[in-house]
Amino acid sequence: MLLELNHIEKRYGGVTALGDGNLAVQPGEVHLLLGENGAGKSTLMKIIAGIVERDAGQMLWQGREVHLKTPAEAAAIGISMVHQESLLAPHLTVAENLYLGREERLPLGWVKRRRMIEAASRVIAEHQFPLRAEWRVEKLTPAGKQLVEICRAILHGSSLVIFDEPTSSLSGSEAAEVFRIVRTLRERQVGVIYITHRLDELQSVGDRVTILRDGMTVHNGPLAELTTERIIHHMVGREVSAIYQREPLPPGDELLRVEHLTQQGKLNDISFSLRAGEIVGLAGLIGAGRTELCRALFGVDPLDAGKVTVCGREVRIGSPKEAVKAGIALVTEDRQITGLALRLPIAHNITLANMPAICRFGLVDGGAQNSAAVDFIGRLRIRAGSPRQLAGRLSGGNQQKVVIAKWLFRQARIFLFDEPTRGIDVGAKVEVFNLMEELARSGAAILMVSSEMPELLQVADRILVMREGRITGELPGRTTQEEIMRCAALETQPVSEERL
Amino acid sequence: MSQPVAEQNQTPVASAKSSHDRIVLQRLLPFLSLIILFIALAIASPHFLTNTNLSSVVRQTAVINIMALGMTMIIIIGGIDLSVGAILAMGGLLGTMAMEKGFSIPVGVVVGIVTGLLCGLANGLMTTQLRIAPFIVTLGTLGIFRGLTLIISNGLPVHRIPQQFSFLGEGNVLGVPFVLWILVACALVTHIVLEHTRLGRYAFAIGSNREAAIYAGIPVNFHTTAVYAIGGMLTGLAGMIEASRLMTGQPTAGQGYELQAIAAVVIGGGSLHGGEGSVTGTLIGAFIMGLLSNGSDLLGVSPYLQQAIIGAVIILAVTLDELRKRRTASS
Repeated sequence: MLLELNHIEKRYGGVTALGDGNLAVQPGEVHLLLGENGAGKSTLMKIIAGIVERDAGQMLWQGREVHLKTPAEAAAIGISMVHQESLLAPHLTVAENLYLGREERLPLGWVKRRRMIEAASRVIAEHQFPLRAEWRVEKLTPAGKQLVEICRAILHGSSLVIFDEPTSSLSGSEAAEVFRIVRTLRERQVGVIYITHRLDELQSVGDRVTILRDGMTVHNGPLAELTTERIIHHMVGREVSAIYQREPLPPGDELLRVEHLTQQGKLNDISFSLRAGEIVGLAGLIGAGRTELCRALFGVDPLDAGKVTVCGREVRIGSPKEAVKAGIALVTEDRQITGLALRLPIAHNITLANMPAICRFGLVDGGAQNSAAVDFIGRLRIRAGSPRQLAGRLSGGNQQKVVIAKWLFRQARIFLFDEPTRGIDVGAKVEVFNLMEELARSGAAILMVSSEMPELLQVADRILVMREGRITGELPGRTTQEEIMRCAALETQPVSEERL
Repeated sequence: MSQPVAEQNQTPVASAKSSHDRIVLQRLLPFLSLIILFIALAIASPHFLTNTNLSSVVRQTAVINIMALGMTMIIIIGGIDLSVGAILAMGGLLGTMAMEKGFSIPVGVVVGIVTGLLCGLANGLMTTQLRIAPFIVTLGTLGIFRGLTLIISNGLPVHRIPQQFSFLGEGNVLGVPFVLWILVACALVTHIVLEHTRLGRYAFAIGSNREAAIYAGIPVNFHTTAVYAIGGMLTGLAGMIEASRLMTGQPTAGQGYELQAIAAVVIGGGSLHGGEGSVTGTLIGAFIMGLLSNGSDLLGVSPYLQQAIIGAVIILAVTLDELRKRRTASS
């Protein structure tokens, strides 16, 4: 056994993050670690990687008990971790990032740059990463950055590599690249722990499964013995229908019409329309221009040409302010960066986009603000202590609901959802879908960007597919993944903006 | 899933309440230290609790305090203004020059305030339109405003000021220094603006997460500029009070005041990352500094040591505040 964790416990203050964590990983095995947000996956991984120390329990590394106090100690015995969020220094090159903190140095701290680039190039070539040692990291796409993280982990942790949701920001073909790398690690007898929320990718990568729920290991066994339903059952501890079903509504009036939208180098002659009660999916690979389209429609980035019509009236959208005024809402993929003021209370976040509604004679009416917040907390089932709780202390799914509540309070009618389910767990996903359904039912029009095709197939009435800034296909909701992929990808995407 | 949700809802309510009580208690900490400092000085020095001494503390602190109110708003919105010392000098100088030229005292005061407003407006427009970090913009305008003030005055102070003007800084109303009334009024208005108006709410939102504020459709540039202008306006008023206390328009007035104003905000719990700060905190911060310097004078502590003490207090206050935040964040 490469790594064995027995009855691990960890508390933060009065909160038990792990009550009974058990995990065993063999060399040459890809071990899937599953669980809802807050189940204790991250804490368990942080203990393995030496980021936090356990309170109780046993950790055996190659049969011997170890106590890791720092990530450096973990790396020294051969454990490394690929983090979900990029922890790279953007202004340095790929090679410098790979060797960050462990540069070969001459006396006086002189760094042997050339040797470093050569060594990095060798590793990159060996694993066939589509990277170059000299590239600056800030020029890389999210997928490229993720690959650098993986490369760094491989470089330093020879025996066990932990992947924390490596594909959460990647599109299909990029994820396939990650799977390929994971498989080569397995062939080299490296142990791999793989955390994911995407149940559809389990089969392409895993051997064994450990499932955590509420800080306890509730299941452990070969992947082959489990069905998706069983996995969800273990994770959630209750039956949740994995396959969300939506009955299309009769489409209403046209709320948004977009004609010949063009933005130099990003969007090319885009035309489509959204009707009330409709959920339209927007598929495509990372870099196809889906996020750019949302940003342009919301007035974040200026358009070079094109016409936008809202409810039959042509509008000029030059800023988010004008978009909001026109009734457009954008739920961004990175809600912590662009969606929420994390250090402010939930109530303030919900009312932020529609302050006039809670102001009287220029002063904020605290009662109106509170009742609005309480109303939405109840309606959207936001799990919060009180409207005064800080938004930053909610879970991902609940933060997402606060963002949606903000737009509902603004009475937006056109919703642009950019990767609304990223990083939220299965239960919360279904709730977000239900919410979108409710929105559609109340007469909103929804455009939903998602990289998870099964999700689009479940939720969308129609699916638009983008590639290289163009709409390359419009498919009915009951289409197939193959059909979407055919429109989305006919050539592989370069991972860097710098062309070779 | 109605049942489990309902269960999970119970505990956070309870814990949020008790942690809220603790937060309130910890928020009171600066206030308690102010009171302890006050009592300690009252015991240590027989001259402390005299009418003259206390009103002189108030008068000394009022100028920094009023500047710090503006700085509070600026820091909450995620900005900083290093040029307030220079704005203070320019406001004071132009206001007194207007009086020297024969305008009435109220007109002079208004000139000083408007000068501050325009300077703040310039700062705000430059940070928002040129998209330069406010630290850099106001570092630049610190030099520009000071330089302009010296050019306008030829480096010479303005002395020919009507005698009644001294009432602003030195007069009493109902037995209390007039500046205290002004300070209370300014603090009250600033507090209401920050906590109960749209501008205040937007300021917190912008400081907490500028991107999210933009995405919420808030006219971020407008409100940022407005906050700098208000900060400048309050500084202009402080400049007139300073001029009234000195009975001169001093082109070199206010040097280093920007750091005292920032220190008051920071001691009072303001965060240089934006999104945090309060009027009460800032007032307490300014008074703690005022009492420290007054107490040191009374107890005969050398002015050199005084600076070091105040410096240490700044670091101590922020450390305690950080510890509090970390503890509430992890619980």
